[in-house]
Amino acid sequence: MAKARALDKRRKSIAGIRKITRTMELVATAQFRRATERAVAADSYSKRIVRVVADLARAGLEISHPLLDKRESSRKAVLLVLTANRGMCGGYNGGVLRAALARLEELRRTYDEVELYVSGKRGVSFLKYRGWEFAKVFTNFEHKPTFEEVDEVASELLDRYRVGEIDRLDVAYTKFVSISKQYPLVETALPFAASTATDDEESSENAGESPFEFLPSPRSVLEEIVPNAFKAKMFQCFLDAAVGEQIARMIAMKAATENADAMISNLTRTYNRARQAQITNEIVEVVGGANALS
Amino acid sequence: MRCVAVTPEKTVVDRETSFVVVPLYDGEYAIGPGHSPVVGRLGAGEARLTFEDGSVERWYVEGGFVETSNDVATILTNRAYPMAELDLDAAKKALEEALKRPASSPEAAEAKADAVATARARLRAAEKAARL
Repeated sequence: MAKARALDKRRKSIAGIRKITRTMELVATAQFRRATERAVAADSYSKRIVRVVADLARAGLEISHPLLDKRESSRKAVLLVLTANRGMCGGYNGGVLRAALARLEELRRTYDEVELYVSGKRGVSFLKYRGWEFAKVFTNFEHKPTFEEVDEVASELLDRYRVGEIDRLDVAYTKFVSISKQYPLVETALPFAASTATDDEESSENAGESPFEFLPSPRSVLEEIVPNAFKAKMFQCFLDAAVGEQIARMIAMKAATENADAMISNLTRTYNRARQAQITNEIVEVVGGANALS
Repeated sequence: MRCVAVTPEKTVVDRETSFVVVPLYDGEYAIGPGHSPVVGRLGAGEARLTFEDGSVERWYVEGGFVETSNDVATILTNRAYPMAELDLDAAKKALEEALKRPASSPEAAEAKADAVATARARLRAAEKAARL
């Protein structure tokens, strides 16, 4: 009886685990949908910003701004790492942290000082284990980063960059391309890449004429748009990371649930076989005993 | 004339309007139907949207742009709240904090001036909202 009972116990505990993974999958699915909606909304804002920049370019303004210029000095660099607060999401955290570590080593070679900003408990514990120290830690970004929260971080970094306290800002996060494609990426956020602003095809087609009047001047509009584009970009990074996390968790939990299903059916089969063998054994014993008596 | 107000988080307004007043960097700017194409830099302050039925909505916006083309006025801003939601005490506190910022270099002074101007505009809007 001992073996059959042990098998049954194991089957029950796996059924319990399956319930948990299944629930986590459903939760991740719901959060993923919400996160995607937000990412799409943010995208429409960024697209409009890009359009204004395209209009500026058409007005014949050369796109130049202190935030776009490369810095000569290499004193201090900041690396912002976006990870999840929780695990159970497959290779999500590992991928970002691997990419971040590689960049971290690289930055340490070229810059006198490297500061780490880390979001997510997973990243914190990993990097602490590796012996890194943090300048700032955020754990308030879950599946729903708000612009307000991101703006606080972005504005602080922007101010520090403006006054020359830091010379470079890199962001390690998970880029969201589509539901079937996300990958860890380390991008340089400051100096801000002008490519995001000028890769518009339309702008080159009708260059030279702009129907717009710029108030108070094209230069002033540009001065305002670059920090805004930077903040929008940062917000996009946080949203991408949130969406990526939910997708990774969804897939990992789906696989875990399926695995649990396979284990349960395997265990049920073994259990039934063990039970049957036990019954046969008992019958044989009873028959044997009766025969011996007669 | 359609008016669309977009923040990075969501589209807050997308409605037919008859008249829109936005706070530009250096003063208010009004946009009526059939306005010529304009891109304007917004400051912080109150945007008033008059709808076709004559009702008025007041929004507090902070920085960004307004763009008009093809009879659509698009407001792109980092923050947009209904005026009624502005918190007077929080606005006062924000101004105090902005005034405390260091101005040790030309760049820092510039950043401080920006922050102070924004905080003042916000306080002004909050005071106005409290009076309404």
